[in-house]
This record gives sequence, C-alpha cells and structure tokens, in this order.
Amino acid sequence: MAARGLTAQRPAAGRARRAPGRLPSPRTAIIAAVAYIVAIIFILPYVEMVITALRPQGELLGRDYLPHHFNWSTFTNMWGSGYGLTSSVLISLEIAGGATLLVMVVALPAAYYTARRRFRGRLAFLLLVLATQILQPTVLIVGIYKEYLNFNLENISPVWSLIVVNAAFNLAFSIWILNAYIGSIPVELEEAAMVDGQSRLGAMFKITIPIAMPGIVTSLIFTFIAAWNEFITALTLTTNPNQYPLTVRLDSFRGAYEVDWQHLFGVSVVATIPVIILFALIEGRVVGGLTAGSIK
Amino acid sequence: MRSRLYAAVAVGIAALLAAAGCGSSGNGSSNGSVTLHFFGADYSTGAGSTSTTNFWDAVAAAFHKQHPSITVDVSTVVWTEFPQKVNTLIENRQYPDILEGNPAPPYAAEGLIYPTSQILSQSVIRNLVPKFLKDTDYNGTPYGIPWTTSTRALCYNKALFSSAKISSPPTTWAQLKDDAAAIKAKTGEIGFGLPLGPEEAQAESLLWFLGNGGGYLDSSGNYAINSPQNIYTMNWLKSFAASGDTEPGAGTANRTDLWTEFAEGKMGMVNCSPAIVPIITGNNGSGMTTSDLGVATIPGRNGPLTKTLGVHDDIVAFKAGGHAAQIKEFLDFAYQDQWQLQFNNEYDLLPATATADQKFAQQHPVFSSYMTNIADSVNYPTKANWTTVENQIKQTMGQAVTGSPSSVLGTIQQTATSTSS
Amino acid sequence: MSDIVTAEPGAARTEPRRPPRRPAKYRRLRAGLAPLPWIGPAIVLIAVVVIWPVVVMVQTSFQNVSALGITLGSAGFSNYSAVLDNPNLPGILLRTVIWVAAVVSITMFISLGLAQLLNQRFPGRRMARWAIIAPWAASVLMTALIFRWMLDADHGVINIFLHDLGIVSSFNSNEADWLGRPDSAMAWMIVVAVFVSLPFTTYVLLAGLQTIPDELYEAARVDGASPWHSYRRITLPLLRPAFLIGAVINLMNVFNSFPIIWEMTNGGPGYQTSTSTIFMYDLKSTFVGQAAAMSIINFAIVVVIVAAFVRLNRRSLQEAR
Repeated sequence: MAARGLTAQRPAAGRARRAPGRLPSPRTAIIAAVAYIVAIIFILPYVEMVITALRPQGELLGRDYLPHHFNWSTFTNMWGSGYGLTSSVLISLEIAGGATLLVMVVALPAAYYTARRRFRGRLAFLLLVLATQILQPTVLIVGIYKEYLNFNLENISPVWSLIVVNAAFNLAFSIWILNAYIGSIPVELEEAAMVDGQSRLGAMFKITIPIAMPGIVTSLIFTFIAAWNEFITALTLTTNPNQYPLTVRLDSFRGAYEVDWQHLFGVSVVATIPVIILFALIEGRVVGGLTAGSIK
Repeated sequence: MRSRLYAAVAVGIAALLAAAGCGSSGNGSSNGSVTLHFFGADYSTGAGSTSTTNFWDAVAAAFHKQHPSITVDVSTVVWTEFPQKVNTLIENRQYPDILEGNPAPPYAAEGLIYPTSQILSQSVIRNLVPKFLKDTDYNGTPYGIPWTTSTRALCYNKALFSSAKISSPPTTWAQLKDDAAAIKAKTGEIGFGLPLGPEEAQAESLLWFLGNGGGYLDSSGNYAINSPQNIYTMNWLKSFAASGDTEPGAGTANRTDLWTEFAEGKMGMVNCSPAIVPIITGNNGSGMTTSDLGVATIPGRNGPLTKTLGVHDDIVAFKAGGHAAQIKEFLDFAYQDQWQLQFNNEYDLLPATATADQKFAQQHPVFSSYMTNIADSVNYPTKANWTTVENQIKQTMGQAVTGSPSSVLGTIQQTATSTSS
Repeated sequence: MSDIVTAEPGAARTEPRRPPRRPAKYRRLRAGLAPLPWIGPAIVLIAVVVIWPVVVMVQTSFQNVSALGITLGSAGFSNYSAVLDNPNLPGILLRTVIWVAAVVSITMFISLGLAQLLNQRFPGRRMARWAIIAPWAASVLMTALIFRWMLDADHGVINIFLHDLGIVSSFNSNEADWLGRPDSAMAWMIVVAVFVSLPFTTYVLLAGLQTIPDELYEAARVDGASPWHSYRRITLPLLRPAFLIGAVINLMNVFNSFPIIWEMTNGGPGYQTSTSTIFMYDLKSTFVGQAAAMSIINFAIVVVIVAAFVRLNRRSLQEAR
C-alpha cells in the first residue's frame, strides 16, 4: 500500500498548509480515496442496521439492498414510553460517566506514582493490575452478585454498584496506559517546574497531565465505551425495566417467540451516538501531536 | 517493611468488609405486613406486547386492595436471560417467595419448595388441568402449579399449498416429505422449516420422536433417548435435511427465525404453537395473512400424532421466606379466570385451569385445534436432572442431522443416566 | 511501557538523611506506607470488586452445584477432571489457539497499515478517523447480530451481494448458509473479531506514531534512505512498544471474546465453533462447578500466554522508558 513508506509527514496538529488554490497532490488524492473506502467499509454494517430498522414489517426479509418503503416511524416511536429509551439512555450515561470519572480519580495517582517512583511491591502491583485485565464480569458474575447482596446494596439504586464494578474492571487498562505515557515523559520537566516553586502535586497537574493527555483521553474513551456496552453485570443487578441501561433494554427486544429487529437495530444505532459524540469532542487530543517535538 | 505495608492494607480491607455486615435476603415483616418477592419470566417482545412486569404489577395492585397487609414485589427478566438470572439468585440463596417459569421437581428434590397443597386452596387445585398438575409431582406429591401452557401443531401456508397443487395437509412423514419437495420445486420457497438449533431443539426433536413411537422416556419412565425408534427418526430427519427441501443448516436453525420466515410467506410448513398468530398479523397483510394459515395435527410416521407436545410454565414457592399462608392468598387470587384470560390473551398462550380453558376456547375458535388434545399431551420428562439433559440436547442435537445420529443420541443418553440424581 | 525492573531498595530514599532521632523501623514503615495514598484506592477497588469474586469462583470450582444453582456439597477435584476428560476439549483448545492467533495477527497487521494511513494528511481525515471508531463505539453484541443478519441464507445482504457477483448461486442453499457450516462460520467470525478489534489497536498505533519526531525522518531522507527503509528502520522499532501493548490487550480480549461466537453460532453445531470461553459459558448453564473450573483453566492459559509474550519482548518493553 502506498501509504506505508511515506516519510516526512508532520504529525497531526492542524490542516495542511499549502498555497491557496493549489490542488492536493496525486499522492494525497490516492491516500484520501483509500481512506474514504476504508471508512465506508467500517460503517457499512451500521448503515445496514439503519436500513433494516427502516424496513416495514412486510419487507423485513426482502431480498433487496433497500426496501421499497421506508418506515421512518421506527425512529420516532422508539422514544415513546413503551420502549423506555430515554430513561435507559440516561442510566447508561450515568453509569458510563460515573465509571470513567472514578477510573480517572483512582488510576491517575496510581499510574503517576508507579511511573515515577520505584517502591517496594511496584512489580507486584503492576502484575496484579495486569492479571485483573484478564478477568471479566462474565465469569465472575456469581461472586459479584454475592458481594452485592452482602453489602446490602440492593437497597440503593444499582447505578452506584454498576459504576463501581465497571470502574474496577477497567482500572487495569487505564493504569497501564497512563503508566506508559507518564513514564515516557522525562522527569526533568517536572523537576524544572518544582525548581520554579511548584509542589509535586502542582507539577503533576501543570506539567505531566497536559503532556500525558493523549494517554488520559485514550483511557477515558476506553473506559466509557466499556462501561457503556457492559451487559452481564447490568442484567444481573437490575430488577426492574425502569432501571435498565441501554444494553439490557436492547436485549429485551429479543422476545420468546419473535425478535423486534427494527427497534433492536434502530435503538442500537442510536445507542452509539453518545459515544461518537464523546469521541468527536476529544479525539483530537488522542492524536493531537501535543507530544511531538517536546520529547527529546 | 513490606509486610507492614501489606498488613496495613489487609487491615483496611478487613475493616471495610466487617463494616459491610452479613448477608441480607429475607422479606420485610413488620407490624404484621408482609412483602412477598415474585420473580417471573417476561414473555413480551420489546414493546410489541407489554412487559410481563406490568401484568403482575396489576395483579399485585388489585390483590393489595383486597389484602392491604400483603405487598407483592414483582421482578421479571426476558426469557433469553431467565435461566441464568434465576441460577444466579439460587446460587446466592436469594430465593424469591414465588418463582414463575421453572419446573418444580428439581427444587422439590432439594427440599426447597412448598408442596402445592400448602400454597393453593383445594378448590383452585381441582380447577387445574390434571395432566399438567401431575407433571409437577415429586415422589407422588405435586409441588408446583402450572401457570400457562402451550401445545404444538403443524402450521402450513394454504396459499403455497395451492400453488404447489397440494390439496390437504400431510398426515404421514412420507406425505410431508413429498409436500415439502413439491413446494420447493413449484414455488421455490422452503418446504418445511426444521429448527434443531440451540433455541428449542428439545421440542422439535420430541415432536418427531413421538411420531415414531419414541420419546425421551420409555414406557417404564426411564430415559431411552437412543432407542432404536429415535435413531431411526433422526436418520430420517438427516436425509430429509439433506434433500434440500428444508431450510439449509437445519442443525443450527432456530425456531424464532423460522417463524419469522413462515409469517413472511417464505415457508410451506413449520411446527408451531398459538404464539405464531400475532407474528402473522403483525405483517399487516404482506407475506401471508391469517386466512392463509392452516393448522393441522402433526404427522407421525404412519399417521397423525395422537399425543402432541404440551408444555407448561409453572409457579413454585420457596420455603425460605416462610410465608406459605400469604403466598396461598396471593395465588388463589391470581388463578382467577380473569387473570388467566388476560395473561394468555396478551401472550397467545393457553390457560392452565379448566374453567379458563373453556372460556378461552369460546373466545378463540382458531385455537381449538391446539386445545383438543391437552389431556393427552406429552410433556418433557419431569425428572430432577431434566434441565441438564435438556441443555445438552439443545447444544448437540443439531449435529445428528449432519453427523451420526446414533452417537449423538448415545452421548445424550449417557449424560441422562449418569447424572440422575 | 512499564519496565519489568525490580524495585531497588535504595531508590526510595531521595530525601536527605535525617538525624537518627526516630527509630529506623518507623522510618521504613513511613516509606513503606508512602505509596498507599497513591495506589491504595486502586488496590481496594480491585481487591473488593475483582478479587473477591475470583475467590468465590475458586470455591465454586471445588463444589458440586446442580443445574439449577443449588450447591450440593464438595466435589474435590472432580470438576477439573470432568472438564479435562471432556472429549470436546482438545478440539476446543485447538480452535481457541487458531482463533486467537488468526485474529490478533491479522488485526495487528492491518492496524499497522491503517495507522499509517490515518497519520497522513488529507482532506476529510477527521471524518475518516471517526468512521473507523464505529465498531468500537457499537457494542460487540450488536455488531455480531448485524453480521449474522447480513449472512442470513435467505435474505442477508452479503449473500445478495455475492449472488449478484455470481459467487452464490441460490438463496437458502448450503453454500449461502455461511454460519451453519463450521469452517465458513469460523472464517466469518474471525472477520468480525478483527473488525471490532481494529479501531482500538489502530488508535494505539496511531498514538505511537505521533510520538515519533519528524526530525528522524528528515535526517533519514537527507541521508538518502528510501521510504520503505525508513519505515523499517525508524517507524517499526519506535512503534514496537505501542505495538506490543496493543497486541497484548488484543490478545486478552480476543481470548475472552464471547458475544461474537455466542450470537453468531452459539458455539455450534455441537461444539464445533466453540472456543474455551464459549465452552465455559455453555457449562455454566448445566455444570456450574465445571464452568468455574474451566474459568480457572482459562485464566491459567491466558496468564501463560501473556507471560510468554512479555518475556519474549522484555527488552523492547524496557526500552520504552
């Protein structure tokens, strides 16, 4: 692929600076074309989701690319009370947002300290963290539920428990990524700030965090998406349809005798929108090029 | 020292756990008021029918008006997740007072549930369809209460039949095979839909086993899954699936998918229950209409089945909460005809009480062919290890039509006999 | 990347020695407890939420639990022996190895190219990057469902397309039934697994590419190196840490991958498309104790694989510092 050996491309920060009025070079055009094709391939299955959601019941199994009739009402009536979509979206936002926040608060200090200081048990801590990345709620659900009961948590909204569970299972990844990013930032930068009068904590906030932003944002996105799409724990800890986050709500469209495919696919497309919005807002920071050039 | 660090952490965690206190469960019981926990299955499909939680909430609310000291707290989960969620509850000894959806004998074998006589008045017990009540027996005593039932028949598409010049539904396997071939050849649609995939392989297999004088049990009530009749049946199905007149991949196909295709007019015949009707009406006329729907008795090898598959979902009550008296009051209330009719109308199933059955048959003449054979229906084995066997059938039976029927059935039989409790 | 260097006792002492007014033990205790405010919350969170259920699971693996979840007593090691004696196990393990190896290697290979592509400047690059995120943003379960829908033998859009191309001759035929045949089902599920893994690994590599300073490329160009040469000599080595992180995480996720196979084939027919995670989940509905034993076996397998992986690449992981 021609994209592979290209050199001397400045990493991402802004738009290409070229003389106004000049067309992009043929190489850029080819690259762009390939990229567009790849992008289209990536969203094709989700386009198919939308198309299927728009199929009227009689054309659901039609052997055609597009139905003759588009049933737009799927996307309008899904917001009705029968489907409980709005409440599920809010609950999912609470869980995913809360878990992400909790992960940030817990992982940042841990990763910072682990990256900067060599303390007794550091290796053990990192290996513990690695080991938990391998474990998933799918296999541990019975034990999780047992704890839930032991702590009498069924008397408060399951959202709190779900925030904690999702945070714990995504902690490992964030600690790893942040540890790597912070570790690659030279200590000298912080020490220079401390010479200028900052405390250690202040140096962390003013210097390290901004530079480690791509790592922070990566772990933020990762945790949010993981919590947003988590299913098994949410299913086990919720007892009532008005407590369902989106994942459980979607599953309820698969009934005993038939599947409501249109709403299933329609709602799942809608469910991806908050994630994409989040990503669009902060994507620039992941590959923002803030690190380029500042590290020598 | 490292050990001190660890000690400090351990103390911290221990303090946290100690503060958490011991396990809960149990039902609120103060000032003489009792809360019953009800856990059931959700029979709905998204918003196509309303969540079963609403139904039970309505029953609970009406009941509470008449019995203000008893509150019923309702919780349901969709059928696909029901077994797993119930297992998680049971593993944690979080027994609901009332559980709707699982068979009684395995729980009775562990001494966990009340016998029927303690949770339902005699007059209501007498109103239950006797065959279904007997299915809840453990050591000769009924332990469960059938709540809702369903039987199977052969559904066929009259429009496709007439296009394929078939005048009447098949009554023997040979006719069924010929009819399927004719439909495939003359209309291009699938002749017969055979779902031996993991969703309900145990139901479809039983319908075919019954057609050849077989079944899951022999006449003495012992497992006989790999009986010669059953092996013959599976071999027959294997060649039927290979003929191309069924859907491809019969060993992996699931009933819900096939019913959707049938309702769209893409299939000549499929084994069905009353629940297929709303799927057809939901198409608003495209594909097939209810007037195209024909219902007949399922063909056996040499003639129509005399016994069809009749399944039921049961209610059991766990002893752990100790609220037998209140449970009895609630269940007596819930088994009135109005609730039976409302439930079964909503979800297109059949009532479990004789009086409700009569009224239901009057309301829905189209279901009468399903209801005539109820007294003679065959259920799944009611042995304590049936769930284990059933799960293996679901996962592996489909291989019988692509691999070796005798070895697949033999493996299942081995599991059945070796895990008998 | 975190290097696998053991902590040196001397490193903790960075402040000047105090006059020995306080006993040495107290000082060491203070130093030992110093990390606590920083890593303490993480330890508590993991210990309480993750470790405790693991303990429960280990206990369960030695118990005899009925199909309805009722604990019937101790089972000793019989759960483990039942699992290991299961005739389906060798095939399942082999398939797991193939599954993981195929998905991870294909994913990482394609990610290298994709990251390079998205690192170039071209109009609409932001849109392209957002589109690549789609499989990550959507839940894997939903992606598996839509692929199953698209592969349907009767009306799946993939079959319609292949029919138009003449590859599939008729609908509702065996050749159109991709998910009913074990080999074609595995192939398609590998495609789906790669599809959902690509966004994450691509972004990890993309971030890695961002940290490579231009000056290196400029210098190489001035020296007359060809694009391929500078890719091999500059990009790949500097990408190695990011590549390894992405690969290890991908490896763990693919091994644990559940919704794709469960929704597309349920591991069937029989167990012919099951991996060890699917097998464990299938056991859960019937033989709970065996499922717990299988989970422990799975965990051991992953730990061995990852440990081997880390060991092989220890030096390049250390260099990342």
